[in-house]
Amino acid sequence: MYFDPVLMIALPLFAAFLIPLLGRVSKEIPKYVPVVMIGFNLYESIMMLPHSMVKPIIVIIAAWKPPLGINLTIGALGNVLALIISLVGFVVAIYNVRFVQKEPTEKYHMLYMLMVAGATGMVLTGDLFNLFVFLEITSISSYALTAFIRDRNGAEAAFKYLLIGSLSSTFVLLGIALIYGTTGTLNMADIAEKIQHVDSKITIVALILLVTGFGVESEMFPLNGWAPDAYSQAPTAIGAAFGGIVVKAGVYALARLIYTIFNFQGVFFFILIMGVITLLIAEMSAIRQKQLKRMLAFSSIGQMGLVLIALGLATVRGVEGGLFQMFNHAMIKPLLFLSAGYLVYYSGSKDISDLDGMGRKKPLLSFFFAFGAFAIMGLPPLSGFWSKFIIISETIRGGFVVVAALALFGSVIEAVYYLRVVGRLYFKQPNESEKTKYVHASAILAMSVLALVVLFAGLFPDMVMSYLKPAATELVDKTAYIKAVLTAGL
Amino acid sequence: MIYYVAAFSLILIGAYAVLVKKNMIKIVLGLSLIDSGVNILLVALGYINGKTAPIFSNPSLKAEGMVDPVPQALVLTAIVIGVAVTALALTIVIRLHDHHKTLDISKIRELKW
Amino acid sequence: MRKAIAVIFLGIIGYYLLATFFNIPFGIARVLDGVGFKYLAMGVPDTGAANVVTSIVVNFRGFDTLGEVTVLFLAATGMGALLHHREPMKRSRQNASIIVKAGARILFPLIIILGAYVFVHGHLTPGGGFQGGAIIASGFLLMFMSYRSYHVNHVVISRVESLAGSTFVIIGLFGLVYGHSFLANVLPLGTVNTLFSAGVIPLIYIAVGFKVGSELTGLLDTMLKTVK
Repeated sequence: MYFDPVLMIALPLFAAFLIPLLGRVSKEIPKYVPVVMIGFNLYESIMMLPHSMVKPIIVIIAAWKPPLGINLTIGALGNVLALIISLVGFVVAIYNVRFVQKEPTEKYHMLYMLMVAGATGMVLTGDLFNLFVFLEITSISSYALTAFIRDRNGAEAAFKYLLIGSLSSTFVLLGIALIYGTTGTLNMADIAEKIQHVDSKITIVALILLVTGFGVESEMFPLNGWAPDAYSQAPTAIGAAFGGIVVKAGVYALARLIYTIFNFQGVFFFILIMGVITLLIAEMSAIRQKQLKRMLAFSSIGQMGLVLIALGLATVRGVEGGLFQMFNHAMIKPLLFLSAGYLVYYSGSKDISDLDGMGRKKPLLSFFFAFGAFAIMGLPPLSGFWSKFIIISETIRGGFVVVAALALFGSVIEAVYYLRVVGRLYFKQPNESEKTKYVHASAILAMSVLALVVLFAGLFPDMVMSYLKPAATELVDKTAYIKAVLTAGL
Repeated sequence: MIYYVAAFSLILIGAYAVLVKKNMIKIVLGLSLIDSGVNILLVALGYINGKTAPIFSNPSLKAEGMVDPVPQALVLTAIVIGVAVTALALTIVIRLHDHHKTLDISKIRELKW
Repeated sequence: MRKAIAVIFLGIIGYYLLATFFNIPFGIARVLDGVGFKYLAMGVPDTGAANVVTSIVVNFRGFDTLGEVTVLFLAATGMGALLHHREPMKRSRQNASIIVKAGARILFPLIIILGAYVFVHGHLTPGGGFQGGAIIASGFLLMFMSYRSYHVNHVVISRVESLAGSTFVIIGLFGLVYGHSFLANVLPLGTVNTLFSAGVIPLIYIAVGFKVGSELTGLLDTMLKTVK
């Protein structure tokens, strides 16, 4: 039994509007509003899953059928991503309850909730311009949250992010203008139907514009200059949420564009190549980082490179692997970020070299970090192994042996720099201990949930894959998606 | 066609300011110039020669005599988003000026660009 | 050097984009089966609003407008968060001359009324909630500029903002409960071209007008407070 899916977007917005009023009643309420709202989204996306696996759920808004009004199209893919986003969002919201001390906390919770709602909107909507609006909601809240600490570097990172982000939104708008000018519609399924009759000179430019625009949020090279700074300067929880939420929505938009809306075979090879370049450059940069969070940020870009490779393969199995990798990344990266945030806090320095011996001083946190590191490197029983295995074997099957070799090489580099940090945590003598505050229970809870999900997905990959298969099929074969939207009745 | 040229001139002038200017206020101005250019382009796409605004304010007006209303609706949204981004950008510039006492972006390079 | 590279780079990109856009002929009805003409045909009989742009903004694509209102809200929130407890800069804002001050006093109420008129008549005439809200904020801007000590009460502003925003969502939820889909019209359409027509459209636009007016005023006030 699920409620109308439009509530997944409408209720968080409603709650965000009301937070200033609720905050006057009690200072405690705003803390819990995101937990409740995103918890509701989690419930909804779990409950919708059995239905959307069979055929896309079409939600009509304002009583107008698809090409006329805006509609939400919740296919298997959108549902899976909404589930990932709300799960990560929920866990980080729990972490936020105790972690956020910096005033104005009320505004922090509003911005955070709207960021999650915007990302949810991006993966659920079936309308191209609506996708742009939700992209803006997500990115504007991200700009503000990046600078939330209000120190020198936070503002600098936010300005950089804002500059790249607003240029990208210009590209998206120009692309939308071209598409509307030639097809006369904004519904994604309708565009996919009509764009076949449009001059390919125009559509290829529209595709380039839109891929450039959404490439920024999905951390595609060379548009990812914002990521390392934003990840490392934003509050810890937001850094965690970027990887699990914002980037996932960006990749979804990219996948929707290249698979559903446009019909160019050449673009897949382009995405594949971009994926390889993104992966290699990010891993090379990650190994040279001295700061823990910057290293994590570059590793996150590298993971997205792997996802792009998988999307570029354009086979069902390959896309499945890519989605599994997205799932893993969305669960593991917040785990790493949250534990790294506390480790950095206790060592009192952002540098990796000051983490010596934390394994003895903070056993639980170090365990979580090491667990996440092993999972993301792809050690066999953990979930990272399966996704990497699928992607690389599928790359070889597709005939791109060089790409597979480069991807393996990237994974080796990744293993090196993660093991270096884990080694420091456990096999170095600790410095004299200063702060010995305990870790908040809510943070432990958040990290345990993520770790359990990772463990579960690693032990039972087939179960996760059974949900990812319809999602991948929906992307590779777009006819079912288009038919469901255009034949939707009231 | 001249409208397309005008719109692109605005976009390119704005992009030039973003790429070349050192003063952050000018960069933000460049961003909003780009926005205006895109908005003009969108409205120009919806225009049809000799037709009027899509408002049925008196019975003699017919739907056949009206321009495409969708781009106008989209532009309304795009303008508001532009305003929001500009406001936030200026806020961040104020913050940067507080910390660095300068508006010159080439002097604010603590993070690697 | 840097300038030359930028000019060449932009020139190439601009040339190709412009060449692409020239493939879309200007001023000709190109896509006859597009949604635009359907809106023109259906707008008045099906939504009751004489202004088709309004019926698209508030009804057909009303979900975008909710997002748009949220974007503005986000900008105001983000600004409040980033300028929280900031020490004002030490620079004096000058009082305007007596002529400006006297003129502003007379104009201020008129501007507010004009703004209200624009958003109340959004479904009949050009304009609507965003435009009306912007006009109201410009009235406040005039007052900020002419009277150094003039300031608005932030508590009131944030309450108006919250109430107006939640009204929008509540109207939408009424549509969900009584009309089967979010933002669906649940009120009678009335006679076209009269003030009380078009169902929920004027109600939503009034809420938007209040919200945009208070938000932009709040933005201006926050910005100006930093230059005291």
